[in-house]
Amino acid sequence: MSKTVNLTIDGKKVQAPEGTNLIDAAESAGVHIPNLCYLKGMKGIGACRLCLIEVEGGKGPVVGCITKVKEGMVVKTVTDAIQDTRKFIIDLILSMHPLDCMTCTKAGACNLQQYAYDFEIKESSLTRKKFGYPIDEANPFIKRDPDYCILCARCVRVCREQGTNVLDFMGRGVGAKVVTAMDKPLQESECTFCGSCVDACPVNALLEADRWRKGREWDYTKAASVCMSCGNGCDIEVSLKDGGIVKINAGAEDGSVEKYICAIGRFGFEAGSSDARILAPMKRVKGELKETTWEDALTVTAEKLKAAGSKAGIISTASILNEDAVVLIKLASDVIKTKNADSSSSLYADANSLNSSDTVDLDSTDVIVLAGLNPSQWERVLPALDAGIRKRVSRGAKLITINSGETRISSAAAVSIQGDEASALAQIAKALLNQGAKSFKELESAVSSVSVSEDGEKAAELILKAENPAVFCSPSLFSAARNLSLLGTIKVIAVPAEANARGVVSMGLTTGGKTFQEMIKGGVDVLYAVGELPVTKKPDAGFLIAQTSYMTELAKEADIVLPAATFLESEGTITGYLGKDKEVRQVIIPAGVSKQHKDICIELSKAMGSAVKAPASAKGSVKAAKPSFSPFEKKAGLDADPAAIMESVNASVVNHSKLLWLKEAQKATA
Amino acid sequence: MFNDTVVKEIDDIKSRYPDRKSALLPSLYVAQREFGWLSSEAMESVARALNVPESVVRGTATFYAMFRHAPAGRHVIQLCTNVSCMILGAEQLVDFLKSKYGLTPGGTTEDGRFSLVIMECIGACGTAPAMLVDTDFHDNLSEKRIEEILEKYK
Repeated sequence: MSKTVNLTIDGKKVQAPEGTNLIDAAESAGVHIPNLCYLKGMKGIGACRLCLIEVEGGKGPVVGCITKVKEGMVVKTVTDAIQDTRKFIIDLILSMHPLDCMTCTKAGACNLQQYAYDFEIKESSLTRKKFGYPIDEANPFIKRDPDYCILCARCVRVCREQGTNVLDFMGRGVGAKVVTAMDKPLQESECTFCGSCVDACPVNALLEADRWRKGREWDYTKAASVCMSCGNGCDIEVSLKDGGIVKINAGAEDGSVEKYICAIGRFGFEAGSSDARILAPMKRVKGELKETTWEDALTVTAEKLKAAGSKAGIISTASILNEDAVVLIKLASDVIKTKNADSSSSLYADANSLNSSDTVDLDSTDVIVLAGLNPSQWERVLPALDAGIRKRVSRGAKLITINSGETRISSAAAVSIQGDEASALAQIAKALLNQGAKSFKELESAVSSVSVSEDGEKAAELILKAENPAVFCSPSLFSAARNLSLLGTIKVIAVPAEANARGVVSMGLTTGGKTFQEMIKGGVDVLYAVGELPVTKKPDAGFLIAQTSYMTELAKEADIVLPAATFLESEGTITGYLGKDKEVRQVIIPAGVSKQHKDICIELSKAMGSAVKAPASAKGSVKAAKPSFSPFEKKAGLDADPAAIMESVNASVVNHSKLLWLKEAQKATA
Repeated sequence: MFNDTVVKEIDDIKSRYPDRKSALLPSLYVAQREFGWLSSEAMESVARALNVPESVVRGTATFYAMFRHAPAGRHVIQLCTNVSCMILGAEQLVDFLKSKYGLTPGGTTEDGRFSLVIMECIGACGTAPAMLVDTDFHDNLSEKRIEEILEKYK
């Protein structure tokens, strides 16, 4: 732990950890130091000069974003000289900035507008400059209007820190402009449309493309929730107006490397109100699906499930909430009385890997081992893990990648081992022992004949020097990677493809009978399919019930379709891949007569004659893992490709929102 | 885009620095020497050779005044017009280059022989006015001397 430093800011006694900059230290004492280019969590660059402050005994003003706290420091954030300088800076910036706040979408959320107000500048006292740069708006996601840009470099820095590297300055001085690599429109650059730059922009230069006349910040109510589109389960902040969603922003805390969402999380919400939504229950009549009432649909479903009993099977996505899973399990065991209830997580993860994974604070990791995973912002495979790791690397952490194939993220690695992952982990274990890690007998004899490569030695050296090393691995490599924890405090996390795999499995939704795979291959008489499932072929079942939000390929084949609420319409808890419980909040009312999964299951149990109760709140249980040795092997049978799973479960969202444009554009340029 | 000799040269530059980004400026010089200016293709080639993002390559190349972003003549004249040179007639020399060769600051002669860049002080105030032609230094300039000097650059 770092030392605590005592200082005085504007007469207030402040305590801050060593290494804190003065903007953060002041903020913790409730003092706001004006700034336009500072981004919490990243190194200050002292570009806007607005955060000038005076330190007693100093020669002149210093910038708050770069100056670190010192013991006994006495800081003044407001003096006449400083206020004059700040006012002049805003004056300068305003001479190049449109004064159309009355119609500007960013009004109310614009930092420049706020400071102009604070410093009482109605209009710049300097000659007005107008560049008339072309607007980049050929894509449906992000509008870039350089005429509003104040050259603070926030967008450039977030883009670079997360390793997307699309934006940079061209030229210098007043003529400088933020551009893509070769000044191409965004869709022709390597932009992934994650929108991190939109979240960072303090003015109206970067904005969601469709915001015009959709209201301004003060028109919205805000709700915090979680995106359930992939295994990363990112925090989101939803802006609502008139009961509908206007936009979604990244919701994690400022300064955290987890503050990131991808294009699916940001723009996929449109699908929820598209014509792909199932708004009412449906029943197959003479070969065709026809709308019916809940009562009728549930009666038919109840009869079928009752008749099938132990020969019924339930398959569910691992993107349902903990409370949904609890009810579903009770429905299976107590009401339908079948052991066949499994989630799609069994395609890529064993229960042990998810249940015994550690809890990790990504922001404090200093050495990250990535084994058997290929996260990619560009392919939108665990994009937040890719961005988060790259941000950690930008902030000084070291990355070790282990993969049998080539991965793009390995270019950010200090050590990259390409080859069999399990034996690479064995090498690192041996190297750790060679370099003096605490010994563990069984492990020592298991790796006695392993020869260690130079990269293996280097990786071990990094791990031994680290304070908070963590391994992120594919579930199939979990037990092999877990061995490293026997040699030191090394956290290990098996990364699932779906948002609540850890929660669903810890609630107990793991089969006691037939597996997910066996059930879709025809192992049961009646198949009850919950959620948007990674199933591409028609399952071989006598009777198929699909409980889903979208008209998926699977739903089209079903005999009964039950309309389910999306995650934005549901309320409950999930257990994220990092082991933290997260609250999923109902931000909009379910479309049509659709209902949350747990509520449908409760209604169904009533129709079957034995009501299941709703759980109050179901927290995931993260168990402390007992150290024990497992062979350095990759677990077989868990080879479902995470990329294919994510593509499959998000197909409805992608195909029925503006994300389809991106898919088509990428196909066209491929 | 780069031939083998250039690839080797850039590899050699890379080996002299602890990280790839540090090799960026010298590599951009090599690219400019090879092609006379930095086209998008030239910057992309540098990005690939160093494995540095294209955005960073372009950002750096457009920040520094000594990189050219349009084709230049076979010989680049860099004439100083700072205080000392100005007092001793550099501005008349600019006019002379225009009337005699049709050269304007930032421009290139029609035959592609010369380009003119107005540059800041080259530290030759004692023998002003001064200029560089490619990498050769010339001082004590007059209209006559410029004519004689430029004869040597075909």
